[in-house]
Amino acid sequence: MKLNKYRKKSPWILHYNAGGCNGCDIEILACLGPKYDIERFGMINSGNPKQADIMLVTGPVTKRSRERLVDIYSQMPEPKVVVACGSCTCTGGVFRGMYNCEGGVDQYIPVDVYVPGCGCRPEQIIAGVVEALAKLEQKTKDIEKSIRLDRSPQINNGQMDRREIAVEIAPGKVFG
Amino acid sequence: MDKRKMIVHSTHAFLGIVHFISLWFALAILITGGDFILVIFLHLLSTAVIILAGFSTHSIFSHLGANRTAISILAYEPVLVIIAISAFMLTGSFDISALYASEVPPLYKMPLAFIALLLILPVKLKKSPFDVGEAHQEVVGGVELEYSGIFYEAIYTAKWLDYVFCYLLVFLFGGSNIWLGLILVVLTFIYINALDNSTARVSYKQMLRFCLWVALPLAFANLLLTMFNIL
Repeated sequence: MKLNKYRKKSPWILHYNAGGCNGCDIEILACLGPKYDIERFGMINSGNPKQADIMLVTGPVTKRSRERLVDIYSQMPEPKVVVACGSCTCTGGVFRGMYNCEGGVDQYIPVDVYVPGCGCRPEQIIAGVVEALAKLEQKTKDIEKSIRLDRSPQINNGQMDRREIAVEIAPGKVFG
Repeated sequence: MDKRKMIVHSTHAFLGIVHFISLWFALAILITGGDFILVIFLHLLSTAVIILAGFSTHSIFSHLGANRTAISILAYEPVLVIIAISAFMLTGSFDISALYASEVPPLYKMPLAFIALLLILPVKLKKSPFDVGEAHQEVVGGVELEYSGIFYEAIYTAKWLDYVFCYLLVFLFGGSNIWLGLILVVLTFIYINALDNSTARVSYKQMLRFCLWVALPLAFANLLLTMFNIL
């Protein structure tokens, strides 16, 4: 459908702070502000997981916020992309190994793009989001692919057994 | 492949689509010059449907948005009805085609109604002093909060249809003089955007008080002026 071309050009952003120091949040706000103005690319900070395409996460995931992080991530409809903004979010940063958090957001949800820096510069965030757009397009195409298997399901005692075939479905087995 | 559809329940999604379709009907009747009361009723119906959809979920923010939308209906709907009655007093029929055809622009005959319309337009368009309906980040997003995917598309398009609806109401005041109508639309557009960017949000009580104590009496005064043919 033609609309896909345009949706790539207007990704909606969901911003979540998983217990960070607000430094990266301020950089994200600077991105949305008039100087860097990523709204000119059609990116809106929607604040609603159900309508968002890209999730910008900041902060090392503290134990208080990880449930909410996974909750928000699961509320976003597919296809979705996660961008980890800042050193703490990528690896845990200076908070790595502390009692209240574990290192990085990728221990809880799959991360597609890592944006380093403490705090990450607005130019880096824009570059990361542009990278995320390519990933989003790839994921959109992957959803469209059909799965063709090498062999058909076998019938045992009149019942079709799909369980063995389900084991076989792996990324290598997917055809266009 | 589109964005995966996540619906809360089928009634919720269906009410969103009904909101979109009934707004199209309202707009079609407004453009083709049908009955003014019917147009207002269909617009009210579409808003009532979206309020029902807001109440049909368990989300508290959705409920809050539905409550606030219902309050904003209370603010602007009486003024709209009185403007329609003023138009009836002016042309002798509720048909909008009579307004389109009137030689003297209705702006000269009912200027106070135009001012009342300008005062309630921010409420209808959810623009900044009176945007209690969605209130940007405060109450997350109003009634359309639980929609996603293609159903949110319908709600989002309906929002733009609402803009066309409101500016067509402004265009009506130009009568058969199309250029006057277009100038009014452009000026109103500039006014709405300037107002949106220069004012802060008021509470819903202040909005109600303003609309019912300032805009409604203005519309009433205009009704009396038009009734006794003073202008």
